[in-house]
Amino acid sequence: MNGRGLRWAGYAIAMAAVAFAVVLASRFGADPGLVDSPLLGEPAPEFTLAPLEGGEAISLADLDGEIVVVNFFASWCLECRKEHEALTATADAFADRGVTFVHIGYQESPPASLDYLAVVGRSPAAVYLADPGSRTAIAYGVFGIPETFFIDEDGEVVGKIIGESDAMTLGATIDAIKRGEKPGQSVTGDTQQRPDA
Amino acid sequence: MSERVRNLVTVTALVAMTTILATLVATSPSDVDRVSEIGERIKCPVCQGESIANSPSPMARDMMALVAERVANGQSDEVIVAELLAAYSGAVLLDPPASGATLILWLSPLAALGIGAVIIFWWRGHPARGVTGDPPEEAGPTTRRLVPLLILAAAFATIVVVAGLSLQDRSGRASGVAALGDQDLSDVSNDTMEAVIAANGDHPEVDGMRLALADRYFEEGDYRSAFPQYLAVADSANATDGQAVTALARLGWMAWDGNAEVETALNLFDQALAIDPSAMTAQYLKGQVLWCGAGDHEQAGAVFATVLSDPDLDAESRAAVQSDLDAVTAGEDCA
Repeated sequence: MNGRGLRWAGYAIAMAAVAFAVVLASRFGADPGLVDSPLLGEPAPEFTLAPLEGGEAISLADLDGEIVVVNFFASWCLECRKEHEALTATADAFADRGVTFVHIGYQESPPASLDYLAVVGRSPAAVYLADPGSRTAIAYGVFGIPETFFIDEDGEVVGKIIGESDAMTLGATIDAIKRGEKPGQSVTGDTQQRPDA
Repeated sequence: MSERVRNLVTVTALVAMTTILATLVATSPSDVDRVSEIGERIKCPVCQGESIANSPSPMARDMMALVAERVANGQSDEVIVAELLAAYSGAVLLDPPASGATLILWLSPLAALGIGAVIIFWWRGHPARGVTGDPPEEAGPTTRRLVPLLILAAAFATIVVVAGLSLQDRSGRASGVAALGDQDLSDVSNDTMEAVIAANGDHPEVDGMRLALADRYFEEGDYRSAFPQYLAVADSANATDGQAVTALARLGWMAWDGNAEVETALNLFDQALAIDPSAMTAQYLKGQVLWCGAGDHEQAGAVFATVLSDPDLDAESRAAVQSDLDAVTAGEDCA
């Protein structure tokens, strides 16, 4: 290799190194929770969880044939508090329309979740469940909350909202599922971790 | 081979086998070791670059408990990791997989090593260059022109890559309620509109959706569902004059058509016309109620004549109103 050729090779290597470093640097600080959920298009992970108050456990299989909206929430989550009214209103609006909202307490004790719900209110059409050991949250790959999953009538995960959802997004997602579409994943805002995480 | 030699070989073989077996047993990881090893490979999803084995976070502890349970149940490492991958994707692995987009991360050290080796080989082949201090080869005019262009092209490519990654991050973001006023409602179900309205009762843009939903119910003849939405628009401080007039006119018609309340209906039409006297729909509906409900042919005729005076009235509506005016003038009863 002569001097000129080597100089060109040097330029090329330097540029490639710079581009590589810039690409890597651009990913620093990126939220790893924004990756597409591998659950999309797959059968929803089964769960059998007791209500927050205790009592008879409810399993996903019990809701076979319905559209199920699974929302992970906690009292310490500000974004969850913001979206709660929209979730409640949407659960009410779609009550008796083959849509069930399932709220699962994330990383907190059932009494803490119950105190929170006593303040922000509940939908009579929704169910509120405890998840001891975070087994269901792990099965659904929850990175932070709020995260909301949409399961179609065939038990397939067809949608996911990361962050605070609003009634239009929730309702439009359900409308799309009822039309046989698969809405996929959308990011509507930030998620939170437990303060001591 | 003598018997002594054979015995020696046998003993040596036995000792060797025993040693190997003992070593295998000694190095076989216990369940606790396996849990720890798997935990070291899994990234805590709520932490910054920590493994679930090393993180004190409650989520990491829950995941370690899951791993321990799976190990105790006799599941292999691969099955346990696959279970977590199925939920979290490759993002849950501390070491990125040596495939796909992350393969470049694994190959980059090898590439750097190769490039370094090439440079060293070249340098060794030109030992005098660094020692004698020969003047560097002058770049030709073409090279001098090309180098800045090349640097510019590299910068452009870098910007494109970074912008592409940035756009990729945002592509999935939903519009949210901020776009309530601009929402195309053609694909939006009544249930969704009910939910949006219930959750955004104070939103300044919500009256448009209330009216659209009420109109749907009204056209379906579902007055019971339309009524509260029209009433909310009529009472809203944020509604435009046009929205309020439409709501009042429809409320008036429902009061007559649904409950035969003539006086209430006429009062609501008058409220609408007080806001906008040129609201011809309200005028026409008022004329209908005057004719059909109150039996007041004279006033009904006057109202129909007012509607016909509107130069913007389309031909079809004009014909219908004229027909009603003719019937009223002739003293006919409402059909």
